[in-house]
Amino acid sequence: MPNNILSFLLLLPFAGTFLIGIMPQTAARGTAIFLSAMMCVISGFIAMHFNPASTDMQFVQQMTWFKTPIPVEYHVGVDGMSLCLILLTSFVTLMAVLASTSIGDRRPKLYYSMIMLLTLSIMGVFVSQDLLQFFVMYELELVPMYFLIAIWGGPNRDYAAMKFLLYTFFGGILMLGGLLYLYFQLGQTGIDNHTFNMVEMAKQSSSLMKSTQSLACLGFLLAFIIKLPSFPFHTWLPDAHVEAPTPVSMILAGLLLKMGSYGLVRICLGFFPDIIRDWGPYLILLGAFNVVWAAVACLVQTDMKRVIAFSSVSHMGFVLIGVASLSAAALSGAIFQMVSHGVISAALFFLVGCIYERCHTRDIHEIGGGLAKQMPFVFYFWMLAAMANLGLPGLAGFVAEATVFYGTFTSPMATAGISPDPTMVDFALKFACLGVILSAGYMLWLLKRLFYGPEQPKWAGHLSDMTQTEKLVATCLSAFIIALGVYPLMLTNTYTAYSDQMTKSIQARLSPTSNVIVR
Amino acid sequence: MSDVATCLLNSHWIVLLPFLAGALIILGCSLFKDKMPKTLCMGISIAAVFYGFLQSLLIFNELRQTPTPYMSDIDWFVSDSFKITVGILVDNLASLMLIVVTLVSLLVQIYTHGYMREDPGYRRFYSYLSLFTGSMLGLVISTNLIQMFIFWELVGVCSYLLIGFWWNKPSAAAACVKAFVVNRIGDFGFLIGILLLLSATYGFWHAHADHGLLMFYDPQVGGIDGVTLSGAIKWALDPAHGTLTQSFLTAISMIMFLGPMAKSAQAPLHVWLPDAMEGPTPISALIHAATMVAAGIYMVARAYPIWLDWTNIAEPSTASAGLAYVAWIGGITAFMAATIALTQFDIKRALAWSTVSQLGYMFVGLGCGGYSAGMFHLTTHAFFKAMLFLCSGAVIHALHGEQDMRQMGGLFGKVKYTATCFLIGTLAISGVPGFAGFFSKDEIIGTAFAWQGPGHEVLAWLMVFTAGMTAYYMFRMFFMTFTGTYRGSAHVHEEHKPDPLTVPLLVLAVPSIAAGAVGADLQQFIAHIGSSEGYASPFSNFVHFMHPHAEVINMSAMTASTVFSLVGIALAFALYYKKGFALDVAIEKKIPALYRFSLNKWYWDELYMAVTNFLLTAFKQVWECVDKHVIDNIVNLQRYIFLGFGHLLKYSENGRGQSYALTIFAGVALIGLFVYFFVSSP
Repeated sequence: MPNNILSFLLLLPFAGTFLIGIMPQTAARGTAIFLSAMMCVISGFIAMHFNPASTDMQFVQQMTWFKTPIPVEYHVGVDGMSLCLILLTSFVTLMAVLASTSIGDRRPKLYYSMIMLLTLSIMGVFVSQDLLQFFVMYELELVPMYFLIAIWGGPNRDYAAMKFLLYTFFGGILMLGGLLYLYFQLGQTGIDNHTFNMVEMAKQSSSLMKSTQSLACLGFLLAFIIKLPSFPFHTWLPDAHVEAPTPVSMILAGLLLKMGSYGLVRICLGFFPDIIRDWGPYLILLGAFNVVWAAVACLVQTDMKRVIAFSSVSHMGFVLIGVASLSAAALSGAIFQMVSHGVISAALFFLVGCIYERCHTRDIHEIGGGLAKQMPFVFYFWMLAAMANLGLPGLAGFVAEATVFYGTFTSPMATAGISPDPTMVDFALKFACLGVILSAGYMLWLLKRLFYGPEQPKWAGHLSDMTQTEKLVATCLSAFIIALGVYPLMLTNTYTAYSDQMTKSIQARLSPTSNVIVR
Repeated sequence: MSDVATCLLNSHWIVLLPFLAGALIILGCSLFKDKMPKTLCMGISIAAVFYGFLQSLLIFNELRQTPTPYMSDIDWFVSDSFKITVGILVDNLASLMLIVVTLVSLLVQIYTHGYMREDPGYRRFYSYLSLFTGSMLGLVISTNLIQMFIFWELVGVCSYLLIGFWWNKPSAAAACVKAFVVNRIGDFGFLIGILLLLSATYGFWHAHADHGLLMFYDPQVGGIDGVTLSGAIKWALDPAHGTLTQSFLTAISMIMFLGPMAKSAQAPLHVWLPDAMEGPTPISALIHAATMVAAGIYMVARAYPIWLDWTNIAEPSTASAGLAYVAWIGGITAFMAATIALTQFDIKRALAWSTVSQLGYMFVGLGCGGYSAGMFHLTTHAFFKAMLFLCSGAVIHALHGEQDMRQMGGLFGKVKYTATCFLIGTLAISGVPGFAGFFSKDEIIGTAFAWQGPGHEVLAWLMVFTAGMTAYYMFRMFFMTFTGTYRGSAHVHEEHKPDPLTVPLLVLAVPSIAAGAVGADLQQFIAHIGSSEGYASPFSNFVHFMHPHAEVINMSAMTASTVFSLVGIALAFALYYKKGFALDVAIEKKIPALYRFSLNKWYWDELYMAVTNFLLTAFKQVWECVDKHVIDNIVNLQRYIFLGFGHLLKYSENGRGQSYALTIFAGVALIGLFVYFFVSSP
């Protein structure tokens, strides 16, 4: 097994960025499809050779660039959680590239090369084991995303791109602040091993004073919940989605948001578990508030893409709840939610795009319903994706929500004695359960207003059903939604070793002497 | 391996085959479009459920001889601290439900061929029917509460798909959304109930992390004890662990009851069921009369330990607050739905209200401690209500889609098979002695009289009174539809010989007459009339909780309910057959408020719509204020700040070499001065 396979995986989109630039315009799409398919193959290959029982980083490759004044390294590796997200990234990228037919001849070279750059950055975030490199990759995403929205976006794209830039940039500065603060504080503890190695930093950071830790944690936390996104930093998401072209929305919802949730687990939880424990009840409350607030917001939207965008905010609230509850089950559910939401939201945005391309409007009133008559296939796939999104058992969304709920209800955070505020957690969870009703409400309402009812005369004869490519994309996404829902073990097996070990080590720190049941 | 073991071992195929059939039809249709032969779709679908029916009979037969439940499980979700499994549990209760579901489903699928023959969605309909049958059977053989929840939602979504089957009808589109959302409110309670129960019994499951969560049965121990739901409740109630108190358990049971309340259409979550009649009639019979709506009753029966009173841990009692709540909700719903059914004119909606009312009876049975009585009524009701719905479908079919009873009348001679079956069903549901409904409903009323819970006398008499109303509105329907003169204008499609539409009716007529007498053992029943000694009927010997219940035949209750029924029938006869005196018109004229209250279904829908609209409008204002005005304006302000800086600074970049040189010079001069004054001074 070559241990530079991860570098090879990163090299593909990196090379693709330039390769597509120098190739003829007609070959751009083909090359992009080929490269993303290759990424799928390689990540599949990695998954096959991955040892799920081990909690260590695997396929590690580390190279020092320079050491003074600060150590700068190239350092990659994967564990269970990273691997799941890499698989998700390759898959969703391939789907997004396939779905990019509407780009046509509007500067396809630049478009596909930007997509490749974006993939590099996302992939880089998930495999980086060096904090500085993580930060660079995290920020790199800004460049292609800005252009993808600002060039190929809808009528109001300038505003949306600027808003996206502002929010993310703000987050980046906070993270940089947190990162440097952490580095220099660690430097003062007397450990003379200056490093940005994330595994090392996770071990060392607990030796810092609590006030120091909380300041550093705050920087990271804010950066990640902007990306997640969470109330009150969520308003960039609906705007960015509405203006972004379909495939970019797929990547945005499917992958970009996962960078935030991944950071929450890897850095906030991994580096500062004590702080997350202290803030846990408030984070759970925030998560629950997100779930409900965004779900009700869906009910008052008139733009179908905004509904799906807000539903993303609502679903990412579950990740926040899962991460903050410090239980193995809930963390496992949170990671599952990252993957399942990645696939489901990609499918939904894709399907929204299918309608938009035919009706040229996203306004629910203007569409008026009755689309099922002319687009039966779009309707069936919509139905499946909508059901998955509202958490129907047997489909991917349910597993994550149910485990997050179960894990949190039985977590240390809901237990008197360990948790700073068990009553608040208890309340927050029951509040979040309202999401079960609301998600059904907005999804079915949307489905009804788009597809049900008599056919509108203005659409008669103007609409066509899915093309072969669209069917292929929808079928692949649906297959994953069903597979993950029917047999979740195939995904959880990959990362349980990681999530169990993570929570175990945290809980051991929480109750070192008492023999409270470790949940 | 013995035959018994093989038979039970293969039970999973009962569930899997309909799913495979559904998937196969969907696959075939998406590949071959209209080239997929219709008869093949029907054949695949019916074959799957027919297999299920045969095997259910075999299982029933095996369990009657050797009543050892069979269970097997596979892991579905595993984490460090818990395990969720899915599998099959075949015991007496499940085997009874298996027969009910497969039989009704089989007959409805045959009927569908006649009913939906002309419909362009014929193939799609069969695929949904198969998926529903599979989900319902999966619910029946669930080994644990979580698996039950999973299939509980799946039957809900199948119901949604089938109610909205004719998606171009706006009323159907609204009805399916309403059905799903109301059911989701129930699921919300169900879910919170499960979670509260799990968090209260956490230590127990943690100690048995190799077992699945919330199992109904433990094959190593047998009975309800062991690593099961009731085992966990016992453990947690034990003062040594003390993570649960009886009052908290009662609270859990009440919250969890929201689930059955929605699924089985009990007040105040009953509003979806009458609207669900927008779906094609075969599914009204299958899903919204016989099987899915009974899932709530089945769930309470399965998870009965949650509803019990465990003050005496060794001998849990049915005199619990949780069950009293169940009984009263059921009783109120039964009464309310019956009053509404009195004035409805749509034949299917009237039947739907009667379903709501009968489901209420079943909950009264379960709630008053009559476990077997409730399940007995579920069984008999499934047969005669499915038949009544199929009859109404046949009438609608004969009248080319007319559902208003005011446009019917005098159909007896024209659709004689249907009319005969409808009469049998009406007699059965009215509780006329000898028919199926008489035995089961009487057992419930008897149980209600024997019950010692809060307000027991009132509840029992309410049930007796409701039985009278039931007889009245059912015969009102019968007379309005089949007797008198034809009032409609559509051409009546007459029946001549049995066809796919009528054969299922005739088959269902048999259990509608006889199921009661067989289940209660007529001979024994007659022998025990008037005696103070109870006897355990064959039904309660087969399906019971912990131990069979010896039923004393309560002569006075039986007489009372029979008298009330007969009065109801006589009233309907006088009003709608003889048209002797116009009591209904008098009520409509004299007390219009009461009449309209019933006609408009107690104004539940109006209330809910008003509340929802109010909340949504209010939220919209809050949301616009917070998201759009406050947060976005802060962001926009930043944007303007940046832009403002940009505008200021852009004057410094004027492109003239001299001014850049000047700036550089000034900068160097400033730094020089700074160094000179502040840094270099020794």
